[in-house]
Amino acid sequence: MSIYKSAINKPITCALIFVAVFILGLFSLQKLPIDQLPEIEAPYVSVMTAYPGANASEVETNVTKILENNLNSVDGLKEITSTSKDNISLVMLEFEWGLDLDEAINDIRSYIDMVYDDLPDECTRPFIFKFSTSMMPIMQYAITAEESYPGLDKILNDQVINELNRIDGIGNLALSGAPERFVYVDIDPKKLDSYNLTLETVGQAVAGNNLNLASGSVKMGKEQYQLRVEGEYVESSEINDIVVKVDAGRAVFVRDIATVKDTIKDFTLEEKINGKDGVRLVVMKQTGANTVQVATDVKKGIEKVAKTLPPDIKLQMIYDQSEDIEDAIASLAESIGYALLFVVLVVLFFLGRWRATLIISLTIPISLVVAFIYLLVADSSINIISLCSLTVAIGMVVDDAIVVLENITRHVDRGSNPREAAIYATNEVWVSVIATTLVIVAVFMPLTMLGGQAGILFKELGWIVTITCCTSTIIAISLTPMLSSKLLKAQRVRVGEKGIEKVDEGQENWYVRRVIPLLDKVDRFYANALRVCLNHPKKTLLAIIVIFCLSLIPAVTGQIGSDFMAEQDNNRMSVTIELQRGTRVEETAAFARKIEKRMNEIAPEILLISSSTGSSDEANIASMMSASSNNKISMNVRCTKKDERERSIFVIAEEIRKEFDTHPEIINYEVSTSGGAASNSNVEIEIYGYNFEETNKVAEDIKNILKEMPGARDIVNSREEDRAELQIIFDKEKLALNGLTESAVSMYVRNRVNGMAAGYLKEDGEEYDIIVRLAEEHRNTISGIEELTLTTPYGKNIKLKELATIKEYWCPPEIERKRRERVATLSVTPVNISLGELAVQIQNKIDKMDVPPGVIINVGGAYEDQQETFADMGLLLALIVMLVFVVMASQFESLSKPFIIMMTVPFAFSGVILALWITGTNFDVIGALGAILLVGIVVKNGIVLVDYINLMRDRGHELNEAIALSGESRLRPVLMTAFTTLLGMLPMALSTGSGSEMWVPMGVVVIGGILVSTILTLILVPVLYSLMSRRGERDKAAETRKNFIFLDMPDTLDEDRMKQQNKE
Amino acid sequence: MKAVFIVFNQSNTERVEYMLDELKISGFTFFEEVQGRGTYSGEPRRGTHTWPEMNSAVITMVDDDRVDELLRTIHKLDKRNEEVGVRAFVWNIEDNV
Repeated sequence: MSIYKSAINKPITCALIFVAVFILGLFSLQKLPIDQLPEIEAPYVSVMTAYPGANASEVETNVTKILENNLNSVDGLKEITSTSKDNISLVMLEFEWGLDLDEAINDIRSYIDMVYDDLPDECTRPFIFKFSTSMMPIMQYAITAEESYPGLDKILNDQVINELNRIDGIGNLALSGAPERFVYVDIDPKKLDSYNLTLETVGQAVAGNNLNLASGSVKMGKEQYQLRVEGEYVESSEINDIVVKVDAGRAVFVRDIATVKDTIKDFTLEEKINGKDGVRLVVMKQTGANTVQVATDVKKGIEKVAKTLPPDIKLQMIYDQSEDIEDAIASLAESIGYALLFVVLVVLFFLGRWRATLIISLTIPISLVVAFIYLLVADSSINIISLCSLTVAIGMVVDDAIVVLENITRHVDRGSNPREAAIYATNEVWVSVIATTLVIVAVFMPLTMLGGQAGILFKELGWIVTITCCTSTIIAISLTPMLSSKLLKAQRVRVGEKGIEKVDEGQENWYVRRVIPLLDKVDRFYANALRVCLNHPKKTLLAIIVIFCLSLIPAVTGQIGSDFMAEQDNNRMSVTIELQRGTRVEETAAFARKIEKRMNEIAPEILLISSSTGSSDEANIASMMSASSNNKISMNVRCTKKDERERSIFVIAEEIRKEFDTHPEIINYEVSTSGGAASNSNVEIEIYGYNFEETNKVAEDIKNILKEMPGARDIVNSREEDRAELQIIFDKEKLALNGLTESAVSMYVRNRVNGMAAGYLKEDGEEYDIIVRLAEEHRNTISGIEELTLTTPYGKNIKLKELATIKEYWCPPEIERKRRERVATLSVTPVNISLGELAVQIQNKIDKMDVPPGVIINVGGAYEDQQETFADMGLLLALIVMLVFVVMASQFESLSKPFIIMMTVPFAFSGVILALWITGTNFDVIGALGAILLVGIVVKNGIVLVDYINLMRDRGHELNEAIALSGESRLRPVLMTAFTTLLGMLPMALSTGSGSEMWVPMGVVVIGGILVSTILTLILVPVLYSLMSRRGERDKAAETRKNFIFLDMPDTLDEDRMKQQNKE
Repeated sequence: MKAVFIVFNQSNTERVEYMLDELKISGFTFFEEVQGRGTYSGEPRRGTHTWPEMNSAVITMVDDDRVDELLRTIHKLDKRNEEVGVRAFVWNIEDNV
C-alpha cells in the first residue's frame, strides 16, 4: 500500500504522526542553545617553549627552527608560523578546518618527544596549548569607582566574582587593570649608605619579623597548650618600627631610612573608562555553553550584586556578545516571519482558495520544525547560519505541496470526490515530485562536503535545506492528500434538464471577478509572445545572448567588488594607537585622555570608551588577548545601536582616522570595526627574507606605497620596531677582583630597581606583597642606576659604575616566521573599496617594485582565504551542475533536454551580476553560496516547463503548438515557485537589523538571479527546445520505423492462401 | 446470460460499485488498474508520465433482461462527466458451470 493511500485511509494516524513530529520539533527548539555561529573549533595549536636567558635570534636558531622543522610533518598541517622573542619561542600550527585536533595534539606530542633531546639543556619542556572558543570573552564590563578605587580589587573579587562564578556555564572571570594592594618600603640610598646598610639587610629584617609559627605544645598540670609565635604584621605601619640594625647601642628603625607606603601597585597597565579610573571585568564561557543564557544569568547576577556594592562603584557594559546574537537572531526571525507571510500570500493569490492555501501553508511550519530536530541531534544551535537556511527553505518547501494540491484540485473540479481525487491525483504526480526534490538534494548535499572554514559554516545549511525539502516532499505525498481529502469540498452538483449541472454558488467572489481574468490575460499575453518568439527563434536567441553579454559588462570591467565576508556594524570599534617608542606609560595615558576627549567630540554616537595603556606584567588570560606595551593605547569603543544613529560605524571609524592623522604624536594607529576574530577582512602582505635590513626596507617601501593608495587604511607592520633598552655591561676583571659575579650583581640591581619581595601582609585571608626597593627618584635616571651601592663579599661598599658601564641600545625585535622563513607582515584594511580590488591593486604595485634577491612577497590574509574559498566553491558549483545534470538526464531519459535547462544557469548569474551592480553590494562567500543555491531554484523552473512540453509533445501536439500550450499552462506554477522563493528572500535582502550585513548579499544574489532567470527561462527554454528538437524528433520517427520494417513487406496473403489450397 | 464488460476511469470505482449495488447486481469480477485508450474519443489511460491516469474494469454476468437497465445507468454515469469516462460492452455467454 502506498504512503498516500495509507495516509488518506488513516487520517488520524497520519495527522497525529505529524503532530508528534511538530511537538518534537518545538521541544528541540526549546532545548537548543542560541549562538552566533555553529560551534567551530578553531584549528590552531601552539607550542610554547621557554629558553631563559636567550635573546630572540638565539631562541630562533636553537629552539624555534628545530621545532618547526619537525612539526612540519604533522598530519593535516596547513601552515606553520612562529614568534621568537627573548626567552620564549612560540610555534603556532594551523590545521585544516574540521580536523580532529586531539589526534593532531597527540602527533605533536610525539614529534616533540623525538626532538626534545636536540633542544638546549636550559629549555623547558615545550608546552602544547590549544586555542578554544571558550577563551573568547563573551562579555566585558567596565567598572568605575571613586573613593572605593583602591580597594576595588578586593571588593570585586569577594563580592562580584564569587557571585558570578556560581553561574552555570561560566568559564573564566578575569579582572583587567584592577588596582592591587602593595606595601612598598621605599628606601633612601644615601641614608642606607650612611648607616652602612644594604638593601638586602632591610629586606631580610622586614621579612624576618613577620612570622607566625607553631612552636610545639606545653603541658601544664592537667591542661595542654599550643605554643605559638604570633609575629605577623597586622598593619603595614608596624613595618616602620622594625629594627634593622643596632649600631653602638642605638637601634636603626625602618622609618629612619625608608618610607612605608601601603598603597596600590605602581601601574604598568592603566585602565580608564570614559577617562575615569576603572577596571574591566572579562567574562568567558565554557565551551558549548549557551552564550545567551550565560549572559542573561551574568546580567541578573550583576544586578543583584550591584545593590550590595558601595554606591560609587558603577558597572557599565562594554560589550555583550549575547546582545549581538539576540539582535541578529531577532532580525532573522523577523525575516522568517515576513517570508512566511509573503509565501502564504503568493499561494493565496495564485490559488484563490483559502482551504488550499491553508493546506499548503501547513507544510511550512512542519518542515521547518524538523530542522530543529536535526539541530538538536547534531548538537548544534540556533544561529545565523541555521536561521538563514530556514529562510532559504521557506520558499522551497511549498513547491511540492503545490504540485500535488493542484492536481487534486483538477480532479475535484472534474467531479471526483475529494477522497478519490486525493488518491488518484497523488498517484499521478508523486514520482515527479520526488524527482524535483532530488534536484534540490543534488544541489545542497554537496554543500555538506565543502572543506575549509566556509565548509564548516555551510555544512549546516546543506543539511537543513536537504532535510526540510525531503520532509516537505514526504508531507506533500501524505499529509497534503490527507488534508485535501478532508478539507476540500466536492463540486456541488444537481441533476438538471441537461443532465448533471454545477450548482451556481451564487457568490462570485472578488477573486473570481478580478484576479482570475488578470491571470488569464497574463497567460494569454505570454502564449502570444512565445508564439512570436518561436517563429523567429534565431533572432530571439541572438537578442538574449546580447542581453547576457551586456549584463557581464559590470563584472568584466571590475565594477563588482569581492569580499571574504561582509563587515558587520556591531556598534563597536577597537582602536589601537602607537606613540613614539619608549614613551613612558604615564605620558601615553595622558595622551589617551586627550584623544578620548577629541573622539567624543567628533563622534557623539560614542557611548563608552574603555582604554588600557601599558601592559600588565602578569601573564593572565586577559592580557594575552591584547598586545599592548608602554607606548600603546588600546581602546574598546561602544556606540549607540545601529538603528539609533545616522552614521554607520564605518563612517565614524573613518572620521576618527582622519582625526588621528592630524596628531603628530601618533606613529601608527588602527581603527578596527570587525567584531570577532572570525570576521577580520584585511589584506596581508607577507615579506619573506632572512635579512632584517632588507625586509624592513621592503616593508617600509610597501608601506609608503600603500599610504598613497585610496582605500587602504590601518596599515600595520607586525614586525615591531626595535625597542629601546638600557644594558649594563660589566667589567669582568673588576667583578672578580671584588669577589662578585654577574649573577650576584644582577640580583642586587634587580632588588634595588624592581624591588625585593619581603613576605606578605596578611589581612582577612588575603596576602599582599611587601616590596623593599629604592625610592623612585633614585632609580629613574642612568646616573641614579650608576650610583647604586653594592656590597662585596669582603664587606666593602662599591658603586655600580665602578664595575660596569650603562649603555642605551636598541634591542632586536621579536622574530616572526611563517612557513619556516622569517617574515614581516603588513596588514591593510580596505575602506570604501572591496577586499579583492585592493588586493589586486596592491599586487600590481608590488609586481612593479624592485625586490632584492632572497626576498619574496606574498599577498594573503583574508584575501587568501577568500581566494581559497572561492576556488572551493567553484569546484563545488561544477560538482553540483554535474549532479543536477545526472538527476535531470535520468528524469527525462535524454541528454539534450537537461542541457537546455542548464543553459538557463548562466542567465541566473547575469541576474546576480546586475543585482550586485545596481545595489552596490560586494560579492562575498555568502553571496557565492546564494549563487550556488540559484542553480537549484532556477533549474527547477526549467524542469517544470520542459517536462510539460514533453508531455504535450507525447500527447501528439505539433512542436511549436505544444510549446506555446505548455507555456500558457505552466506559466502560473513557474511564477508561483519563483515568487515564493523571491519573496521569501526579500525580507533578508532588505533587512537592516544588526548583523544583517552578513546575509544581505545572499538575498540580493538570489533575488536578482531568480528575477532575471525566470523571465529569460520563460523565453529561452521554449526557443532552445524548439531549435534542438526539430531535427532530432523527425529522426526518431524514422528510427522507430526502421524497427518495425515488417510493415513494408509486400502483401502476399491472397497468394499464400492460394498456395495452401493448391497443396490440399 | 450476458456478459457486460465495464471499463472506467479508476476515479469512478466507487460510483461503479455503488451502481452495481443499487441495481442488485451482486456478481462481478474486478480488474484493478488496467490500461486502455479509446477509438473515437477518450484520453489514453496508460499510467505513464504522459498519460498518468489509469482505468479499472468490471466484468459482470447478468440476466438478459437486466442488461438494458444496466447500460442506461452506465450511460448516466458517463454523462456525469465525459472526461472521466466509462464504457460498457456486452456479449453473449454460451455456457457456464
